[in-house]
Amino acid sequence: MKKKNVLRKGLNIVIVGCGKVGETLTEQLTREGHDITLIDKDATKIHDLTNLYDVMGIVGTGASYSVQMEAGIEDADLLIAVTDSDELNLLCCTVAKRVGDCAAIARVRNPDYSEEIPYLREKLGLAMIINPEQAAANESARLLYLPTALEVHAFAHGQAEMVKFLLPEENPLVGMTVAETGKTGLSSEVLFCGIERDGNMVIPDGSFQFEAGDKIAFVASQKDAKTFLRRIGLQTNQVKDAMIIGGGKAAYYLAKRLLSVGIQVKIIERNRQRCEELTVLLPGAIVINGDGTDTDLLKEEGLEHIQSFVPLTGIDEENVLLTLHARKVSNAKVVTKINRLNFKTVIQELDLGSVLYPKYITAEAIIAYVRARMASLNSNVETVSHLFESRAEAVEFLVKEESPVTGKPLMDLHLKSDLLVSYIFRDGKIIMPSGTDCILVGDTVLIVTAHTGLRDLEDILA
Amino acid sequence: MNRSAIGYILGYVLMVEGVLLMLPVVVALIYQEQEGVWYFGTAFACVLIGFLITRRKPKSFLFYLKEGCVATALSWIVMSIMGAMPFWLSKEIPSYIDALFETISGFTTTGASILSEVESLSHTALFWRSFTHWIGGMGVLVFLLMIIPLSGGSNMNLMRAESPGPSVGKLVPRIQSTAQILYVIYFGMTVVETVLLIIGGMDVFESLATSFGTAGTGGFGIKNDSIGGYSSYIQWVVTIFMILFGVNFNAYYMILLKKWKKAVKMEEVRYYFFIIGISILIIFFNILHLVGNVWDALRHAAFQVGSIITTTGFSTTDFEQWPQTSKTVLVLLMFIGACAGSTGGGIKVSRIVILVKTVGKELHSYIHPKSIRKVKFEKKPVEHEVVRSTNVYFIAFMLIFAASVLIVSFEGKGLVTTFTSVAATINNIGPGLELVGPIGNFGSFHPISKLVFMFDMLAGRLELFPLLILFHPALWKDAIKKRKM
Repeated sequence: MKKKNVLRKGLNIVIVGCGKVGETLTEQLTREGHDITLIDKDATKIHDLTNLYDVMGIVGTGASYSVQMEAGIEDADLLIAVTDSDELNLLCCTVAKRVGDCAAIARVRNPDYSEEIPYLREKLGLAMIINPEQAAANESARLLYLPTALEVHAFAHGQAEMVKFLLPEENPLVGMTVAETGKTGLSSEVLFCGIERDGNMVIPDGSFQFEAGDKIAFVASQKDAKTFLRRIGLQTNQVKDAMIIGGGKAAYYLAKRLLSVGIQVKIIERNRQRCEELTVLLPGAIVINGDGTDTDLLKEEGLEHIQSFVPLTGIDEENVLLTLHARKVSNAKVVTKINRLNFKTVIQELDLGSVLYPKYITAEAIIAYVRARMASLNSNVETVSHLFESRAEAVEFLVKEESPVTGKPLMDLHLKSDLLVSYIFRDGKIIMPSGTDCILVGDTVLIVTAHTGLRDLEDILA
Repeated sequence: MNRSAIGYILGYVLMVEGVLLMLPVVVALIYQEQEGVWYFGTAFACVLIGFLITRRKPKSFLFYLKEGCVATALSWIVMSIMGAMPFWLSKEIPSYIDALFETISGFTTTGASILSEVESLSHTALFWRSFTHWIGGMGVLVFLLMIIPLSGGSNMNLMRAESPGPSVGKLVPRIQSTAQILYVIYFGMTVVETVLLIIGGMDVFESLATSFGTAGTGGFGIKNDSIGGYSSYIQWVVTIFMILFGVNFNAYYMILLKKWKKAVKMEEVRYYFFIIGISILIIFFNILHLVGNVWDALRHAAFQVGSIITTTGFSTTDFEQWPQTSKTVLVLLMFIGACAGSTGGGIKVSRIVILVKTVGKELHSYIHPKSIRKVKFEKKPVEHEVVRSTNVYFIAFMLIFAASVLIVSFEGKGLVTTFTSVAATINNIGPGLELVGPIGNFGSFHPISKLVFMFDMLAGRLELFPLLILFHPALWKDAIKKRKM
């Protein structure tokens, strides 16, 4: 039908499985203007979600041919399988590939497959296989490499990093304005792109004054980020040892990563059999069979002197309490994993340090893929990351052609408020832009903004 | 409750109505009629009020089912109040209650009139009367969903409140596209009918008005004898299109997608045509001796059956003179109504089918008390929730019906008149029997009865609950209560 193509702005996406990840995806992707069809076995879930979002819902098993046909797999651009079962997810994708000839993304969590994921992905012809636990482990590992940071995101193929840290009291930065830090040469190579204070997010201008307790996000090249942090007197070495509570999948992935870079790992796991499995899987780790919530045991194992502490039990409440406890008795860097997304605002108010949401990470990775696919259609977005609990976005644009934005000094552009051009990546080099710099064709530009859903670089103009 | 969002939607509805009111103004210009001034004035007032209201954007568009229902019900009421203005202001219908009755009858696609003489009305008024059918047929909120993308999801609740049928689904994921597809089909079919009528020798104005009446399954005639005075070709065209507009629009979407098989296999549509076929046969043999001519008998039978089951309410002959059996069949058809997802009213074929199947299931459980059985419809098991809500719908329908009959009976107009007048309004048909028969009208009723009819028409069109919820005390408390946050 001709009519339909005119109407179409986004992709046709089928999502199988309406769990938390499915819901997060639905929320985000409808907001970005894609046409979503949901499939789930549970009629009430479908009912709830179709009431909440502008999507179509179908009750049935996602891997079934007729159900997929009903969901319009023939016209779909992408199928995302995020049910509880790895095997069902893979089957959904395989069927979708055969029937609908669309791209497919599966969530696969079982560590037994983790080694084979690249192989599986290639052989089954999937666009992406995502493992939430592994993604969360990678993210926490990145934090342990730079313990001062609350969050670290990589951009420009790893050339640039966005680091978020908490400004302690009696730091040289306290009381300074952004302009002053630039003048004194303290922050010449970094660009401040977001500050969170009392739960509010601001995109700072030159007159912004730092206060103790601010959560500051800045962008810099990897080296400059460390130099900057060292200059303002914060620790930048990676941790020497780590204590992980709970020996689940995420713990396994994390321990493996940490061990590979020479960080000592201690895992406390309640289940004896699992402990035995872990010692086989992770020969370098110290595996302790005991209750991770037993404070005496934690003391005995040296919680007070440990440099990092990662509670990874399956129970959010336990993780939160363990974090609070660890922060009280030690100076360890703590990374907390939270499974449920419901209480995000409450958790934010607790002083937990770094918090990871594996489900959010999963959803984000998929959304990043969807955006990249859209890029080939009608937007120039390369990557997107969410900052400050998705109240701000860091969007990377590839400048493909001349536009009203290119070739003009930044100070002459009439930019939207709450929007910042963070860096320009040109010829393999990161440029921290000043008012006189221009955006040129071929550049990659990182925009930090409180406006969500930018599709094109021109959208930065007010 | 999200009052600001409801207000915002009402503002938009008024603006849309204002724009739509410009069409009769155009008609007035063509025919050089002074009445157009009042239409223009009302249009201007609608746009102005709507514009002022929509200046203030609501903080959030969070919309739950109750907001959807309230917004829908209020939209229809506000629309009718404004739509009645020009009739009243131009003094063509001197009483405001009568003007409101006529407008609600138009928007709800009932087609019941208080006018005994329509041919003396201005072209402008006749056009607006018929045009209200077209607007009300597919629904003004569906139209609204088509033109403004209400950000923030949950606008499905608006569509659910306005579209007929036990469970409302979408054709495509995005509601805006669904609404667009529906209107494209609706518009396309209306155009085809208009062209066919013009070919049949009707002038452009009459064919447009007749098409509007058919498309919305409304039934306001522009002649005193409805369609009776036209050629048999025109009567057949109208018959076929009435029946087509009573079909579930999903079927047309399937046909557009070239899924013929799926369209033909739709259970509801099959039952619909089955009921039509049987009814035509019964009436045909029943009136054959009266009419004498086989073709005339078939034409009258088909026209009346099509007109009543789709709840249009056009007529080609005074079926008041028909034998009792024929009249009874017609009265029964009134309650069945058209398919879900069409522009017709009534209880809807799908509900009737589900109800009958539930009875079958109940009988089965008497024979095999421990057996488990699910009611199936369209080859799928029907959710218990849908069966339950269908039953409740039927009960609520009967209760409202009974209460309305009781109130109207105080006029002492005779059981047949009382019964069929309520049936004709709550099912959005138009003509009933005896006093309100095809050549009669509703003008002689007391204002209180007219209010009851207006309520019934709105309740019938909005499928009872969106309108009934307005009377729930919890909602009032909610509306008065200051919002937290």
